[in-house]
Amino acid sequence: MERTDRRWLEKELNQPSLLRWPSSTASQDAPHMIRIASLAALCLLMTLPAAVAQDMPLSQVLVPGEHWQLVGSGYRFTEGPAVDRDGNVFFTDIPNNRIHRIDANTGKVTVFAEQTARTNGLMFGSDGRLYGCRSGDNQVVAYDSDANHTVIASDIACNDLVVASDLRLFVTDPAGRRVWTIDAKRNKRVVACGISPNGIILWPGEGTLVVTERNQPHLWTYRIEPDGSLSHREQYYQPLRLLPGQARPGSDGMTVDTNGRLYVTTSAGVQMFDPTGRMGGVISKPHRGSLANVVFGGPKRNIMYVTAGDRVFQRKTRVQGAVHFLKPPTTPR
Amino acid sequence: MLNIFTRIVPLALILLANATTHAQDDYKLGPDSMVQPNVPQGTVTKHSWTSTKVFPGTVRDTWIYVPSQYNGKTPAAVMIFQDGAAYVNTKQSFRVPTVFDNLIHKGEMPVTIGIFLNPGTIPATKAGGKPRRNRSFEYDTLSGQYARFLLEEILPDVGKQYRLTNDPALRAIGGISSGGICAWTVAWERPDHFSRVLSHVGSFTNIRGGHVYPALIRKTEAKPIRVFLQEGSNDLDNLHGNWPLANRQMAAALKFSHYDYRFAMGTGGHNGRHGGAILPDSLRWLWRGWNEPTAGGSKKN
Repeated sequence: MERTDRRWLEKELNQPSLLRWPSSTASQDAPHMIRIASLAALCLLMTLPAAVAQDMPLSQVLVPGEHWQLVGSGYRFTEGPAVDRDGNVFFTDIPNNRIHRIDANTGKVTVFAEQTARTNGLMFGSDGRLYGCRSGDNQVVAYDSDANHTVIASDIACNDLVVASDLRLFVTDPAGRRVWTIDAKRNKRVVACGISPNGIILWPGEGTLVVTERNQPHLWTYRIEPDGSLSHREQYYQPLRLLPGQARPGSDGMTVDTNGRLYVTTSAGVQMFDPTGRMGGVISKPHRGSLANVVFGGPKRNIMYVTAGDRVFQRKTRVQGAVHFLKPPTTPR
Repeated sequence: MLNIFTRIVPLALILLANATTHAQDDYKLGPDSMVQPNVPQGTVTKHSWTSTKVFPGTVRDTWIYVPSQYNGKTPAAVMIFQDGAAYVNTKQSFRVPTVFDNLIHKGEMPVTIGIFLNPGTIPATKAGGKPRRNRSFEYDTLSGQYARFLLEEILPDVGKQYRLTNDPALRAIGGISSGGICAWTVAWERPDHFSRVLSHVGSFTNIRGGHVYPALIRKTEAKPIRVFLQEGSNDLDNLHGNWPLANRQMAAALKFSHYDYRFAMGTGGHNGRHGGAILPDSLRWLWRGWNEPTAGGSKKN
């Protein structure tokens, strides 16, 4: 929305709920709402009354002249891209049971871990460890910097996970049609069921959890309650772009940037949504093959990495990825 | 001749430039938007609503306007405004309570209870977590969900305090921007409940697929909906679409399918100045014939 118009509309749509409202106004207030007007000046002083969303076109994300670049190839199926504190990106080659590391500065790809039991989704925690879904032995684990792993939970047919700043995990279990949470004391329980969850991500600020289903033309949002349970499910992100003749978007992995944009890999490309759930654009796929997951890496976390079948690609962007591990954990595991 | 040309053309150009740079939003409110002596004023009360069924977890501010002519015996007409804070405010562009006072007093619209709804938000429980802002989801989505919210939550609740009509001919709905397409969607989905739509700078663009409405309107048996569309030639042109073109498409489709519509194209931008200035006339047109037995509906229906 154009800046001047937005300012006007924010004023016009000011949300008095943001103000401390005298309780007496719940009763009759005549003539009409004079108090609203008397507080209008105060409203103007407040930043961004939440009524009107800022437009977020792709031009705010993409860099003119920058396109996809091949990072590595010859893998069998790449997944789980995860960024660490320094911007190095780790990804898994599921059938080959390896986790690879892309150096943030040199771009060199090295093997980080082997015999990984088909480790799928990955994400770093605020304790510096790399959490992963060992789908081959149904374990959620944490890899230390030497690639030794500790079992966090067992008997979860895990696919992907997200790690909150307090080291609470949310884990998708597509076969079991449920989402698990595992708290910092390693207690696990089911917090959502009845969907076939796949990718999973937290908003910056961690108030909202987003879950993909490959076959549904929307992404689910949940509110996270203080005890880790999920509430107020909504098909907030929709509609997703579908390829002509296809009913299923093939939505898979996700990431978020510091401005609250959400990126989801789909058959049509990387679809970008603004924080109000509006699709803002589709970033073309780097090749004709599949697209599984996405993360921002590099020293400034402004390089978009995608795992794409037997390859991994990167491209420079104008945005910065959001992570949840910058605060040190309050209770180390 | 040359002399006239050299004098008049630059002058005209200056006037034209002035018109486009300064006067595009220079709309003035008329007397029907001002409090008039000897016109009784209705009352506005502020409330909040926590949705449990249709948009569970959302909270929102709401206001109810009750005209002084409401007697509690005759069911009142209903008009529901989205982004209610903008419409209920009596110091900005729309001033609906004041306009309603004046038009109801003159019999140019029925005794109408105004319901003003803000969009919902789902507050985060986690400290530092951002609330989920539900405005676009509620307003821009092409479905019957928002209509269901009105019919299953809002109208029954307001109906506990006030006698409201069930006659679709006496139920109107309006909104600005995404609230405009929301109003249209409600009537499109439930013409059996809402027959009069007022759209200000409506977002008939591809925010969530709403650009398809002109195509749908042309290839769907006409529904009994009367529509007032206000738009400005300097409205938005962004990733979702071009608002003036989208509203022209809507107007052309409504004309093609013989709807009872009016299209007011001004020179403003994405705001309520033009819509506010013509609000009394818009409401007179929208409510015209309200007290006749065949009120409301499409010409051909």
